[in-house]
Amino acid sequence: MGEMTAMPPGCTQVAAPGSPRSPDGPLGLYVHVPFCAATCDFCAFYQTVPTADGVGHYLEGIAAEAALVEWTRPVNTVFWGGGTPGLLAPVDLLRLGTTVRARLGGEPEEWTVELAPASVTAARLEVLRELGVTRVSLGVQSFQPGLLDALGRLHTREQVFRAYGLVRAAGFASVNLDLMFALPGQDEAAWLADLGAALALAPDHLSTYCLTFEEDTKLWVKLSQGRVKLDPEHEARLYEMTWARLAAAGYAQYEVSNFARPGHACRHNLNTWRMHEWIGLGPSAASQHAGFRGANIADLGRWLAHVARGERATEDRVMLTPALLAEDALIFGLRMNAGVDLAALRVLFPAAPWTDVAATIARLVDGGLAKRDDDMLCLTPRGRLLADAVGTELLGAFGANAVG
Amino acid sequence: MPVSRTRNFCIIAHVDHGKTTLSDRLLEHTNTVSQRMLTAQHLDSMDLEKERGITIKSHPVTMTYRAQDGKDYKLNLMDTPGHVDFSYEVSRSLAACEGAVLLIDAGQGVEAQTVANAHLAFAQQLKVIPVINKIDLPSANLELCTRQLEDILTIPAEEAILASGKSGIGIVDILEAVVARVPSPRWTDYPQARILVFDSLYDAYRGCIAYVRVFSGSIKAHDMMMLMSTGQKAEVKEVGIFTPKMEKCATLGPGDVGYIVSSIKTPADVKTGDTITLAARPATEMLPGYKEVRPMVFCGLYPLESDDYEKLKAGLARLQLNDAAFVYSSESSIALGFGFRCGFLGLLHMEIIQERVRREHDVDIISTYPSVIYHIVKQGGEKIEVDNPVNMPDPGTILEIREPTIRASIIIPNDSMGDMLSLIMEKRGMCDHTTTLDMNRVMLSAILPLNEILVDFNDRLKSITHGYGSMDYELGEYVVSDLVKMDIMINGDPVDAFACIVHREKAEGKGRQLCEKLAEIIPPQMFKVAIQAAIGGKVIARDNVREMRKDVTAKCYGGDISRKRKLLDKQKEGKKKMKQIGKVSIPPDAFIQVLKN
Repeated sequence: MGEMTAMPPGCTQVAAPGSPRSPDGPLGLYVHVPFCAATCDFCAFYQTVPTADGVGHYLEGIAAEAALVEWTRPVNTVFWGGGTPGLLAPVDLLRLGTTVRARLGGEPEEWTVELAPASVTAARLEVLRELGVTRVSLGVQSFQPGLLDALGRLHTREQVFRAYGLVRAAGFASVNLDLMFALPGQDEAAWLADLGAALALAPDHLSTYCLTFEEDTKLWVKLSQGRVKLDPEHEARLYEMTWARLAAAGYAQYEVSNFARPGHACRHNLNTWRMHEWIGLGPSAASQHAGFRGANIADLGRWLAHVARGERATEDRVMLTPALLAEDALIFGLRMNAGVDLAALRVLFPAAPWTDVAATIARLVDGGLAKRDDDMLCLTPRGRLLADAVGTELLGAFGANAVG
Repeated sequence: MPVSRTRNFCIIAHVDHGKTTLSDRLLEHTNTVSQRMLTAQHLDSMDLEKERGITIKSHPVTMTYRAQDGKDYKLNLMDTPGHVDFSYEVSRSLAACEGAVLLIDAGQGVEAQTVANAHLAFAQQLKVIPVINKIDLPSANLELCTRQLEDILTIPAEEAILASGKSGIGIVDILEAVVARVPSPRWTDYPQARILVFDSLYDAYRGCIAYVRVFSGSIKAHDMMMLMSTGQKAEVKEVGIFTPKMEKCATLGPGDVGYIVSSIKTPADVKTGDTITLAARPATEMLPGYKEVRPMVFCGLYPLESDDYEKLKAGLARLQLNDAAFVYSSESSIALGFGFRCGFLGLLHMEIIQERVRREHDVDIISTYPSVIYHIVKQGGEKIEVDNPVNMPDPGTILEIREPTIRASIIIPNDSMGDMLSLIMEKRGMCDHTTTLDMNRVMLSAILPLNEILVDFNDRLKSITHGYGSMDYELGEYVVSDLVKMDIMINGDPVDAFACIVHREKAEGKGRQLCEKLAEIIPPQMFKVAIQAAIGGKVIARDNVREMRKDVTAKCYGGDISRKRKLLDKQKEGKKKMKQIGKVSIPPDAFIQVLKN
């Protein structure tokens, strides 16, 4: 950490707003590995307990599904999420990686794999390195045993340190730690202690997530039973503390929950927020590709049945119109510190009621929620804390004709 | 049966002093209704009446009683509305009688309403038979009750009958007293037919049914009748008596109480207090006491769900069929949408209508602050009446504003005197007379502006007196008052539902209170939102809505985008449902929360 310097202005290069969905824009590949040993209290992602048969069928399913996709250009970024991709045995990781590699059309710029600290072994890391994985994301969540227990996480503080050591030793280009805050029972000091513990490891990237109550989670049940209470003021303070602490430590915020040392922002995610294309494989995986947005069926068995019949298992298909992309590029783009280029959006979607949108933007600027520099629009820290409300306000400005 | 053996009487009492139970005992004793048919409290048929122990509609009944002199008497018992809001209706019911049984709860003694009702009975020159009821209660204090009878009501104590409706004590004594003391029907020798309408009922099949007391002449089916207030003529379809259910009979003659079904279909045409005569040989003078009733208290009623507007409209129309005193017209509010401006006789009437809309018509409603009718004299002498603060003319054009007052009789325990006087002062009232009722209680006579008692006066009275206080009032005069219209503004835009007319000296306090409450109830906003109270453009109080602190999704990756987008679309739709005050979107229930108090 000693060698960390203040962020050079060039850091915005990775986060610079790009034109959404240029035909030859970057292409992402997301692979969902649906296996978990246990369900965390906060987690709403699709996952299931692994069995030997289940894993085998899953790997065949990924191969079958990949064969159904039209691979028209090289893949720029890969992201394996879950579930817990690290639950796969090294041999299965290799099988999955080999299947995936065959479709990339070259060496990707970035290849991220999410790993649960308890699943990290030298053997698995070696396979990942061989496959060409460049980035490891460790789901730490907290360093405090009490909070880890409360979340239903299966690892210990010591396992985190051991896992981080192994990952570093394996020589990945970029390492991320996922942390969570506003956990039930976590005060400001406890969160600062977690942040401090993470910073002491000097990761390249940090994702800090305010605890979200998602339906179909155990936490949601606790919340609806009144056993856990929401406190937006407390959450806002924790956000602000986080931003200040990480900025002081040389991590530039580039999105609501994401911070990186120079050159380490996650490109896969940046491309997603800029409304570029990505292909999703595996149960519940979302895609935005070939003119449509949608998600695969969130059920291993039913997903398998579809791909075995030679069909994509996509649900909730939405056509990607210029209107939808322009709105989403604005709304989701503003979550990034760099903001959006309004001129590029106007080119993409000239028919939008830009005058009304401009009036709303002017109100946001007057209200201290946004900053506008010519055609570049970004949120202020206060605006970033209210990004959803800002999004709703902007959507309203697009009016009744906007595509939902 | 000769008319000399008819007795028309009513029972008057304070709420809960046992009127309905006693009525039931009389019905039983005269075998009018068998024990088996008597549901508890037979005469109060409306749920709300049973629940609140008050009678809203008249429930007359004709009984035959063989007295101790061996002769049969026809006793017509009028069950009267029991609240001051309906004092005109009460007075018409009383006008249909020659006598009144005045009930006093032996445990509680004379209450404010007892006094008011007794005075109404005296005013109708009825023979009053005092009955001390519930004498078998452990808390009964007969000595106190008889002393109060003499001191407060100036009724000789030896006239009092001791009774218990519950255990049947004194029932025969009461029936005998009705026979012996109540005079036989009056004005029977008037040359033409004169029949008093004391209530009416709307029936979907039979139209408007008039509840009547015949004073002179007689009426039967196929007669042509005439309503004297308007001259409207109609054919009589059916006449009958109440047993207590309606029972057809051939003729209604002098002294009889019964009903008339005619060709009239419009409830408003049959007015309480009107005189019916025969078109062929009409009377020239109406029976005395007829008045057009006018609502005194107004408020806006709005459906909580705007989809319920038609349902509310239908419900109000149906309620009006049986309640000519209730008036309404459509209005709209920026804050609350489409609704109705409603006029009521008084506070209880307002509560009852609101409750019936909710229960019988299953519509959730919100009401705006009640208002009275203000008389406004404009520069140049033009006089207008305003029942909605929104319609108040520009202050510069007003010469003076007059507001209605009431004369209140308030009975309270001695030790609440100080607090009660403070409350009266706070409400801009003046106590001009106090009477000691007994060791523990005093009766205050006070003049108060009607608009000051509309909201929380009765609750405060109950709280100060730990529930022992009671109040009754009659309308007083209009007086000139230093009143102003206060607007509540959100970011400079007035919110109509909160406009109110207040005394200048109380404006600031009330303004501050409203601003604070709105600031507290309106959910935090993304932009700065000021709430101000203003009189004619001058801000007298202000507050700020809390600013929204955090509304951001932590995780928003590929799989989250569709979900997030749907959520934002949903929120956008939700925003459309919000009330737009200028540029501020406010959930409609925020206004409702404030109005709910």
